[in-house]
Amino acid sequence: MHSENYFGAGGLDRHVLERVRADFPVSLHGVGLGLGSVEGFSATHAEKVKQLVDWIEPAFVSEHLCWCAGQARNFNDLLPLPYTAEALDLVSARVREFQDLLRRQVLVENVSAYVAFAESAMAEGEFIAELVRRTGCGVLLDVNNLYVNQANFGTDALQQMQSLPRDCVKELHLAGHLVTETALIDTHGDRVADTVWRLYDAALERFGPVATLIEWDTDVPALGVLLEEAVKARTRMERFDAIAA
Amino acid sequence: MPLLLEAQREFGGRLLAPRAASSWPPGLRIYAGNMRANWEKALSGAYPIVRKIVGAPFFEGLARAYSAAHPSRSGDLNEFGAQLAGFLADFPQTRDLAFLPDTARMDWLAHRAHFAADAPGFDPARLAGVPAANHAALPLHLAPASALLDSAWPLARIWEIHQDGYAGELNVDFTPQSRHFLVYRAGWKAAVALLGPADHALLAAAQRGACLGDALESACNADPRSDGESTLARWIFCGALVL
Repeated sequence: MHSENYFGAGGLDRHVLERVRADFPVSLHGVGLGLGSVEGFSATHAEKVKQLVDWIEPAFVSEHLCWCAGQARNFNDLLPLPYTAEALDLVSARVREFQDLLRRQVLVENVSAYVAFAESAMAEGEFIAELVRRTGCGVLLDVNNLYVNQANFGTDALQQMQSLPRDCVKELHLAGHLVTETALIDTHGDRVADTVWRLYDAALERFGPVATLIEWDTDVPALGVLLEEAVKARTRMERFDAIAA
Repeated sequence: MPLLLEAQREFGGRLLAPRAASSWPPGLRIYAGNMRANWEKALSGAYPIVRKIVGAPFFEGLARAYSAAHPSRSGDLNEFGAQLAGFLADFPQTRDLAFLPDTARMDWLAHRAHFAADAPGFDPARLAGVPAANHAALPLHLAPASALLDSAWPLARIWEIHQDGYAGELNVDFTPQSRHFLVYRAGWKAAVALLGPADHALLAAAQRGACLGDALESACNADPRSDGESTLARWIFCGALVL
C-alpha cells in the first residue's frame, strides 16, 4: 500500500489497513519522500513514514530512486536522477539516514524515465548495485520500469538486472504501460505486456521467487482481470520455485 | 553550485513553464503532464462537490490555475488544496457562483474529516462512575473529525443533492441567510448537518472546551424550548461530540 495514503491520524483507511494487517503481511510503498531531492527533502515526511512503520510493522518498506522537491515546492512525481557520483553520494546518505531513522532495511525501487541525462556516468543497474553495497539497502525491482527504460533509451533491461547482486531484490513490481509516439509511459493502466512477462521470468531466475505486486491503479478493470494477472505471476513463480527445489 | 542542484532547478523550472520550448526533450512534456494530472486528481478527490458544480473540463482549468498560484508543498497529496476556497473567492470566472467558496470550505472539511483521528466511543460505564453531582463539570469536546462552519448558503442541501445515488428533487433555495453547519464523520463517512440554534450553541461550546453544564446552558439560552439532553445525546451517539 502507498504509505502516504495512511498518514492520517485515523478514519476508514487506517481501520481497513489495521484489519488487513491482522491477517496478512503488508508492504509499505512510499511515493512522496524523494530520496534524491537536493533541496526540500522533508524530515517531517520521513518521520510520518516512521510512525506508520512503527504502528503497522510491515514486511517491507520501500521508496523510489527519484527526486520530487525543490524551489520551495513539491512536484509530486517520480522525477529521474542522473547516474553520477554526486547523485550516488546524495542518495546513499539519504538512504542511510532513512534506514537509521526506521532502524530497518529500506528497499529502493528503480523508476521509469522519459528523459535521460547526458551527464550519467554509469548505467542504472550499476548505480543501484553500488547504492546497495554502500548502504545495505534492498531493491524493489520494477520489471516494467526496466522495460520502459529499455524501450525509451535503448538500455538493456537484462543487463541492468545482471548488475544487481542476486540476494538484494526483495520485491518485484509488474505493471502495464502505454505505448505513445513520444515514449512508453508507465501508466499502471493495462495488462502486463508479454515482453515484460519474459523479463519477469528472467528476474525470477536471477533473484528467486520473491514477493510480486501487479500495479494497476488507473482504469482499474473488473476484479476477474486482476486475478487473471495475479494467477499468471503466481504460475511463473511456482515454476521457478519447483526448479529451485 | 553543485551540478545536481543546478540540474534539478532547471528541470523543475521547465516543468513549471507555461509552455514547453521546442528544443526541450519531448519526455519533459510527459513529466509536466503527469505532474499536473496528479495535482488535478488530488484536488478532484478533495473537492468532489465543487467539481460536480463547475463540471470536469472547467475544474481541470481551475486546478491548473490553483496549482500555479498555490504550489504543492508536501509529498502527501492529501494535504494539497487547502487554500482553494480563498482562491475561488478571487477567481473571476466563478464570481457569479457566490456560494462556491463556502462549498469548497465544506468539501475541504469533509476531506480532512476522512483522515481525522478516531474519537473514543461513548462509554456509559465511565459516566456512571462519576457522581451525578459532578456531571455538569465534565469536559465536552468536538470529535477530531468535527468542524463547525458558518455560511449564508444552504450548504447541507448542496451536499445532499450532490451525493452519489441522490435521486430526489434538485431545487435549492439560494436565499442568503445566516446558517450554521457541522461537518463530521458519521461512522466512517463524512456528513454535513444544518444546525438549529440549540445544536449550534451546544457544539460551539464544546468547540471552546466548555464543561457539560455550561454547554447545556448555552443550548437552553439559544433556544429555551429545546431539550438540551436529547440534543447532547444526538451528537454524542453519532460520534460528532465526545464526553
